[in-house]
Amino acid sequence: MSSDYEISDDDESYYYDDEDMMDGTQDDEEDIDMADFGDDFRVAPKSKRKSYELDYDSLTQKAVEQLMESDVDYICGIFGVETSTAALLLRHMSWNKERLIELYMDNPSKILVAAGVTVEEPSAQGAAIRSHSSTSSGRRPTRSASKLLGMGSGSKSPKPTHNLALTKAPKPPKPIPFVCPICYDDSPDLRQLSLDCEHCFCSGCWTAYVGSKINDEAEHDIRCMAEGCTLATPDTFVRAILMSPTVDHEEQAANAATWARFQELLVRHFVASNPNLKYCPYPSCTNTVSCPSASSKASLTTIVPVVSCGARGIAGSSQGSSLGSKEHKFCFGCAIESDHRPVVCGVAKLWLKKCRDDSETANWIKSNTKECPKCMSTIEKNGGCNHMTCKKCKHDFCWVCMGPWSEHGTSWYSCNRYDEKGGSDARDAQSRSRASLERYLHYYNRWANHEQSAKLSVELYAKTEKKMEDMQITSSLTWIEVQFMKKAVEEVEKCRTTLKWTYAMAYYLAKGNEKELFEDNQRDLERAVEDLSELLESPIEAENIPTMRQQVTDKTVYVQNRNEIVLADTAAGFVEGRWKWDVQVEGFDAPEGPDY
Amino acid sequence: MSGICRPRLAEERKQWRKDHPFGFYAKPSKATDGSMNLMEWEVGIPGKANTAWEGGLYKLTMSFPEGVFSTFPVNSPHLLINFQRPKIIRQSHPNSSWTGKFTPPLFHPNVYPSGTVCLSILDEEKSWKPAITIKQILLGIQDLLDDPNVNDPAQSDAYTMFKNDKVAYE
Repeated sequence: MSSDYEISDDDESYYYDDEDMMDGTQDDEEDIDMADFGDDFRVAPKSKRKSYELDYDSLTQKAVEQLMESDVDYICGIFGVETSTAALLLRHMSWNKERLIELYMDNPSKILVAAGVTVEEPSAQGAAIRSHSSTSSGRRPTRSASKLLGMGSGSKSPKPTHNLALTKAPKPPKPIPFVCPICYDDSPDLRQLSLDCEHCFCSGCWTAYVGSKINDEAEHDIRCMAEGCTLATPDTFVRAILMSPTVDHEEQAANAATWARFQELLVRHFVASNPNLKYCPYPSCTNTVSCPSASSKASLTTIVPVVSCGARGIAGSSQGSSLGSKEHKFCFGCAIESDHRPVVCGVAKLWLKKCRDDSETANWIKSNTKECPKCMSTIEKNGGCNHMTCKKCKHDFCWVCMGPWSEHGTSWYSCNRYDEKGGSDARDAQSRSRASLERYLHYYNRWANHEQSAKLSVELYAKTEKKMEDMQITSSLTWIEVQFMKKAVEEVEKCRTTLKWTYAMAYYLAKGNEKELFEDNQRDLERAVEDLSELLESPIEAENIPTMRQQVTDKTVYVQNRNEIVLADTAAGFVEGRWKWDVQVEGFDAPEGPDY
Repeated sequence: MSGICRPRLAEERKQWRKDHPFGFYAKPSKATDGSMNLMEWEVGIPGKANTAWEGGLYKLTMSFPEGVFSTFPVNSPHLLINFQRPKIIRQSHPNSSWTGKFTPPLFHPNVYPSGTVCLSILDEEKSWKPAITIKQILLGIQDLLDDPNVNDPAQSDAYTMFKNDKVAYE
């Protein structure tokens, strides 16, 4: 999926005699002919997706905003309400249009109150929906002031102490001076703003309140500042507060940033409400990925939805090395790691949980403890003689041979009874219980090793870059011709990530032919990757550069193909339901029998 | 709203002196040198008549945030029930030593063991609004004393007892 590849494919094809390259109609990577190896890096064009990849779209913030707008317009069309009202209603219902329409048809005033579009009115329910619909800052509703006052100081607000200012000045342009009930500022040039509830506050207080809600609480649902008032601020109102011209340029910039943040929050809320969408988890990236095929939980048992939002790099970090500006790849189904192919989310999660709980502890247990031969309690011997008495079951045994102490007769404290029956039985039992631990550690160590190696490949890349520079100096190769090193390193890193997760998968796979085949594929890939890694680490001499380039290129293509095979075969296995686990995995059938 | 914290508190103080509910008191705390600290108030709330709390005067410290991260009145004030002095209980056995014991600040489901009061109008993410006055907060706490919010308990002992054994709780 790397776009780097496409570019260089075209660039390089001038010296590689490969008609396939240019026409862009390469066949699927799975049925690659072995004889083709060594020609060049064969990478399917981006548009062509491989069997283990899935369809997804990357959307910018603008595009998501358009989606939101179309939903809002749809609701506007049906209900005949203003845009901002429709937006508040949809947000209140987490963008569930069907449910909103249902509830609205049932009882419009109830949902309008709940969404904060209108205030509760004891009388004349639903009569004034349209006139209630939110107004922008300057406009006042045309309803009579007495009705408004009735609402403000009525039964709803039990302690209307701060309504002093309101009762005096229900309509802003009144002779009685306005005092903001929050900051108690009464200067005559104060700009006052209120929602339909007519709770007037000065613009400064509004700005600070809205800014605090948006920036500190990351809240897009902002309600009126008066106590108990549930009226929500429509977008137009927020915009009027934040985007009004101020004298202070710094403040204006800060307000503009708050407004941008507000819009981002709205998009995030929309994305979070829609199972087909996911927000890119990379820092300060605002793209969204749409992947309908991975939206349901059930689909995650057959696919590993690795997607990319299309952006690269992390804003503010160095863009120097190309591995530092990696594409924003992540798993649509879970948040554990960017790419845990080939293993599905459920198993990957299980594995990581086990690793967190077990790995270090297990290592320590393995090297420092033994189990009581009778009750299997784990015991650490931290001193004293070899005559052990289990604290739990009071079994007396010998720490050295693990046999019962009673068989030791008088030869205390010098165990020479290795071959006695009791002792060897106990050791057998112990080794069985250790076997599962050993087995886990086998997989864990390889998993961790590949993870470590993948990380080290960043270092390797720096070294490789140096090598590439050297090559350009010492040989007649041009920049484009030494790119094979970079590709090789990238490929190694990719494959190590795959390998890492194959160990997690193999640990949970139930014994059988399928597992053997899987491990064969894994072995082939691993061997290929290690060969290539070794080659990349080796020193470069001017005279062997052409042969080395040939070797590296060959190996890279081979590794790439092995990787494709592992991924494609595993993905196909999931779709066919070929893989059987020896533990209960969410979404899969229960294991057939306790193999271990 | 920068710099409005102090004018607002000064105005609140003025309003309070003009008119406040019976039995309550609220005043800015005094430093040892006698200077007034407007950012921290000492308040007292009387228990409601005809409730288990009647006759008591519950002293609290009310601190108002002012800073980069939170500023009153955009953010809510923080209320702390004042710790009572450790009560010294003499054991009945004459040879046993003196044992000091901290009484919990207030045996109430919505008061944290640290003394922090948990009330929805004091939480910005719940019902705090900048327009809520100190008077309203104090009246709210008086209500809370007799009418705890069992859905949002802050200390387990008082909560379980309130739930299971109303008589013992009182």
